[in-house]
Amino acid sequence: MLFLQTIYANLADWGPRLLDALWTSLALTVVAFCLAFLIGLIIEYLRTRRSALVRSIAKSYVVLARGVPVLVILYLLYFGLPGAGIILGAFAAGTLGLAIVYGAFLSEVFRAGLAVIAPGQREAALAVGLTPVQAFRLVLLPQAVRHMLAPLLVNLISLLKDSSICALIAVPELTLISRAIMSESFLPLHVFALTAGLYFVIAWSASLAVRAIERGMALEKGQSKPGKAAETLATQAI
Amino acid sequence: MNALLFERIFHALLSGAVVTVEVSIGALTMALLIGLVLATIEHLTVNRIVVVSIRIYVELLRNVPSLTFLFLLYFGLAATGVRLSSMTAAVVGLGMIGGAVLVDIFLAGFRSVPKGQSEAAAAIGLAPLMAFRLVILPQGLRLSLPPLGNYALGLVKDTSLVAAIAAPEVMFNARQIVNETFATAWVYCAAALLYLALTFVVGQMFALAERRLEY
Repeated sequence: MLFLQTIYANLADWGPRLLDALWTSLALTVVAFCLAFLIGLIIEYLRTRRSALVRSIAKSYVVLARGVPVLVILYLLYFGLPGAGIILGAFAAGTLGLAIVYGAFLSEVFRAGLAVIAPGQREAALAVGLTPVQAFRLVLLPQAVRHMLAPLLVNLISLLKDSSICALIAVPELTLISRAIMSESFLPLHVFALTAGLYFVIAWSASLAVRAIERGMALEKGQSKPGKAAETLATQAI
Repeated sequence: MNALLFERIFHALLSGAVVTVEVSIGALTMALLIGLVLATIEHLTVNRIVVVSIRIYVELLRNVPSLTFLFLLYFGLAATGVRLSSMTAAVVGLGMIGGAVLVDIFLAGFRSVPKGQSEAAAAIGLAPLMAFRLVILPQGLRLSLPPLGNYALGLVKDTSLVAAIAAPEVMFNARQIVNETFATAWVYCAAALLYLALTFVVGQMFALAERRLEY
């Protein structure tokens, strides 16, 4: 009880600062996700080209970005690049680093989403005279998006969580600001419990949405295969 | 880059790599224990209170950033008088988070064992616990191996975060040596290569395990 009272007493001071920092975290997440979406699309596009060189470049990008911790990439961008004459601000380095890593993750999502669609769809689209780009945009993408929605959201959630790593290159986001508050107030448990609560509220509501989408997809699948549905009903009856 | 500098970087990163491996193994062991025990309980029990408490644990830890949780454990607990060393906080923190992830992985594994298996086990007269131990568990574990491998890869990368609570692993030592030598790009590129090697080895180990355990 005393614990909550202490938090409540400090809320007037901490609240606005934490909310400000939360906005930075969210901005970091959203900008990085949009960039990662683009990178992911490009990687997936390159990976399906005919040239073996282009394919292997795209593949090694994915291997590299998935095998190295986010922190290493952030340090390289923020501390390493100035040595080459390129100076990035903390926020820019943070977004870029997260986008590089999540671009690789999202390219896997795109691949899985596109693999679900029967190859006949693309062949039919090309046969009626659509260009490959049109076939992708008008026929393949709309169908794939429905399968990709849940995994995309899952990645968005873990991107939000990983945005906390940007605290280590001094982006003034939620985790860094709560550390700063901690060193003024000497109430680490209170501050970090509050911060964890803020992350939790956002991430958990998003993961509830993921579950709702997945349930919807599962129901749809059950209906499109009447034989399967009848089978499960029959086993339940026994 | 001269030989002396190279040697210093090499030694710092190597001693960091030892700590990284230690933290990874410690956290993985703890995560496996927590995950296996809680998943088994949730799979077998009909008690709603037990299931809800396990769910609360899983949801809480899966939806909070690892770094925030590590800070909470390391700085937060110290304020209440429980002083964890940075290594203990690292292993316990990553282990608790991993436990929450593995509960879901193992549960999904147990649930994807075909229903006929548990029905057949019941039909030949195995008690529910025996049926679980002899029939469901071995098959469920095999099914959870691929996501388990993914988790282990993520864990090796997440150990880089414990540098923030001063555990002397690769990134902590890298930062140290950069402050002394200013060879920023060299050091961090070397660290990246080290992590690539580590994740490659872990990936190969799980791929081997999957091949060995195939039907």
